Amino acid sequence: MNAPEDGKNIYQPHLMEIVKIIPETGDTKTFHIQFQDASLRESFSFVAGQFAEYSVFGEGEATFCISSSPTRMSHLEFSVKRVGRVTNALHQLNEGDIIGFRGPYGNYFPLDKLKGKNLLFIGGGIGLAPLRSLIHNVVDTRSDYREITILYGARSPQDLCFKYDLETWERNPSLKMVTTVDAGDNKWKGKVGLVPMVLEELKPSAGETMAITCGPPIMIRYTLKSLEKLGFTPSQVWTTLEMKMKCGLGKCGRCNIGPLYVCKDGPVFSQEEIQNFTSDEF
Amino acid sequence: MYRKITREKLRKWLIGLSARAEILVPAKMNGLWTFRLFHNQELPQNFLNSRIPPKNLFFEPLKGLLGWKAADGSFQVNSCPAPEAARVIFGLKPCDARALRLLQPVFTGDYPDVFYAGNLSRTLLLGQACRVQCQGSFCSEVGIDRQDSVDFDVFFREIAGGYIVRVITEKGNTLTGEKEFFEESSAGEWNSAKEEIRGKNEIPLFNLEKVKAGARERFPDEDFWMRVSAKCINCGICTYLCPTCHCFDLCDLQRPGQGVRFRCFDSCAFPDFTKMAVHNPREEKWRRYRQRVSHKFNFFYENFQTVACVGCGRCVAHCPVNLDLREVLLEMAR
Repeated sequence: MNAPEDGKNIYQPHLMEIVKIIPETGDTKTFHIQFQDASLRESFSFVAGQFAEYSVFGEGEATFCISSSPTRMSHLEFSVKRVGRVTNALHQLNEGDIIGFRGPYGNYFPLDKLKGKNLLFIGGGIGLAPLRSLIHNVVDTRSDYREITILYGARSPQDLCFKYDLETWERNPSLKMVTTVDAGDNKWKGKVGLVPMVLEELKPSAGETMAITCGPPIMIRYTLKSLEKLGFTPSQVWTTLEMKMKCGLGKCGRCNIGPLYVCKDGPVFSQEEIQNFTSDEF
Repeated sequence: MYRKITREKLRKWLIGLSARAEILVPAKMNGLWTFRLFHNQELPQNFLNSRIPPKNLFFEPLKGLLGWKAADGSFQVNSCPAPEAARVIFGLKPCDARALRLLQPVFTGDYPDVFYAGNLSRTLLLGQACRVQCQGSFCSEVGIDRQDSVDFDVFFREIAGGYIVRVITEKGNTLTGEKEFFEESSAGEWNSAKEEIRGKNEIPLFNLEKVKAGARERFPDEDFWMRVSAKCINCGICTYLCPTCHCFDLCDLQRPGQGVRFRCFDSCAFPDFTKMAVHNPREEKWRRYRQRVSHKFNFFYENFQTVACVGCGRCVAHCPVNLDLREVLLEMAR
């Protein structure tokens, strides 16, 4: 899959054009991008869960997952919350602007282990981005899976990302979609409550189910506890971890958790693997 | 295969090579040993390890990787060329050459870095046996033989008036095969050129196997890491002078109409090294010190079956607060 060519500079990004920008929340945008090189549009492939290094030339590179699905390859998507130098620069860009792209890097969601199972997606805030890649993927290959439940939460209705996807999934009779916010407003008609609490109310059956979660570290921590209460074993729970990265290639020395490099050995890990980590530094 | 050469012929051989390659030799600058361009001068004797490791000649402190320019409305990105020009480095020490080999799987394994790979393949590595134990060093404890090595193309042992050399690679064989300079020698002559190391540790400081076991066992021991890292001031000198440290940052420099992306040294000692938007997994100093020691003696060993320390002693000799890695390793080995 997109192996580096001999003698090529591994740090050199491909050029991609921003074809569309969707404001998600006050501080988060989704970018639709397309390779300038027409042959790459054809040959590029990735698997849900993988990430890439995106650059604004002159400002630097930053790491984001690919949030679109490998089943929808007309363009790639990634979503960015404005927090630092590169993300601020990305937020200044317009449709038609050029960015750099290196990837795909890292491992991916274990589709072979998910097939034939019930799937339970639990996302929080911008953490829906990597899950969204997989959700679109399984929706497009729906017959490979049994029941699919999506639980998504954000701090407030204004902080919900991918509202257009949430609406589509709500209307899809083959999905069970639950959206919750920590604090509602007078227009909010959905659930109010923290993701782990709503999860325990939902009482999903752990039998033949795989849970995939991504969100802020605090949400993941309590979600894992709730899943354990519901009878999920560590090998049934998958998550993607976030660490500071620069190279994405296992060289620059930042993203290791003990001997594992999140950029090469991750970012997708089962809770079983996480429990056996030598280090708690993540 | 063994050969021999006189000191004067070695100088002439290098002068000959300088017509087709850049030659770097040990030279003293401001009282410190370093590697400088060869100007046909007498080769120095009794030189000690350079303060800045020769790693910097392969994995540069600052290296342009690619550049871009926006001209006439079109935007172009161009890779910086991989280094190719032939080069000879004379006088490398066994510890520093081992360090270059240790970094090979990191840089030239999967996703090969053409800059590091190019620097290695364009360089003829000429090593020289040590005569003196360097300040702060513990090379023999981590398995470095100061008088022998296969990490070079050719390895030199000094004798009165010249050198006995061990030819290791085919490239070394070809270049030392010129009868005008080198004569054939024997294993007997090679063995008799072995010398005692002055000032060596008579008794090994620690047992490496016990250090490796200790690194694993001590990893969760917060009190231990807090205690041994207490005086560290996060200056990063140990990482910048280390021949095996290889953490780097990627940065952009933009000028009007053009820019460059470069790779530069970074250090796991710095508090913001792993800082992310929301949290920093190695915010506390003891975690960062633990990361450095564990990376070398625990994680790197697990990933590449060798420890990432060559015992050169630079981190011990140049630490501004005398944080002595040997003491930490000794305690881990207990």
